Amino acid sequence: MEEWRFIDFGMVDIRDMMAMDEAILKAGEENTFFFWTPKKSIILGFFQKANIELDLAQCKDYTITRRISGGGIAFSDERCRQINYGVVGTIDNEAFPMDIVESYKQICGVLIDTLKHYNLNAAFRPINDVVVDNRKISGNAQTRWEGKLLQNGTLLLDFDIEEMLRISNIPKEKFMDKKIASVREGLTWLDRELGEVRDMIEIQNVMKKKFEERFHVRLISSPMTGKEMEFTHSILPRYYSNEWVYR
Amino acid sequence: MIKTQQGIHKSKGGLIRSFVSAENGKIKEISISGDFFLFPEEAFFKIAEELKGIEAKREKVQQKIEEIYKREIIQSPGTLPADFTESIMKALEG
Repeated sequence: MEEWRFIDFGMVDIRDMMAMDEAILKAGEENTFFFWTPKKSIILGFFQKANIELDLAQCKDYTITRRISGGGIAFSDERCRQINYGVVGTIDNEAFPMDIVESYKQICGVLIDTLKHYNLNAAFRPINDVVVDNRKISGNAQTRWEGKLLQNGTLLLDFDIEEMLRISNIPKEKFMDKKIASVREGLTWLDRELGEVRDMIEIQNVMKKKFEERFHVRLISSPMTGKEMEFTHSILPRYYSNEWVYR
Repeated sequence: MIKTQQGIHKSKGGLIRSFVSAENGKIKEISISGDFFLFPEEAFFKIAEELKGIEAKREKVQQKIEEIYKREIIQSPGTLPADFTESIMKALEG
């Protein structure tokens, strides 16, 4: 059976993580599946503007950076109850289709299989969401580079809607209760769906297994290479710079 | 005085926000942002760059964006050139 690399980065500073993410795509030489857990942070999509999306005065204790893929804000509060994953793979029209939506669907399948393992009614909602009973539980973002794809995504285990609205650039005075209710209607998280708090490592292990089954591969733990580390260091200052984050 | 106005349009691929000002019937300043997807990402900046100085009319804006899409081989799942045009026209029309 084919072997692909697996890395668990554990709890990370997202600026370091986004640099490693890019390095695995651009300097890596094998298909890789990885996990990380972000500290209190906000990651902007490539095409977003910080001052338009965020109430910056409310974000002072958050680490903010930007990723190289499009899509919306990835927000993590101090509870860190979310699983973040990354996949880097060669677009081969088998494991990873050329068609963008099909490739999202393929990788999101790992999340759907994981949620089904917990007897939840999970489905893919094009272009890039996974839903449970039509409520979004996972957002995903993909970019491509020289015949390879990088997909990042998050599986929410818990989510603080009020905190998310607090840091968002929306009028705060009016309709706050209405807004909370509307987000609660459109978004969900695993703890809420299961009515209990499951161990994050256990869920990650299910995901790993579902990944292996879906792609017919064995995941082998192996760290980043010297070349990837070198690349990471060369691009790291960008992820810490105001020019990149607040452009 | 030149007024910069915001136009918001939601495509299937995401929200597109445009801030645009016009002078003498031409686009003067323009910035576009949002939570859509577009590949290759760097090609996106050419849209705002090349729209500067273009006549502030729907068909001219649309034509320019389509030309950039073709030349840069842009793919944007769920978002069409017409969606960017719509967001920009909403800003221009106030």
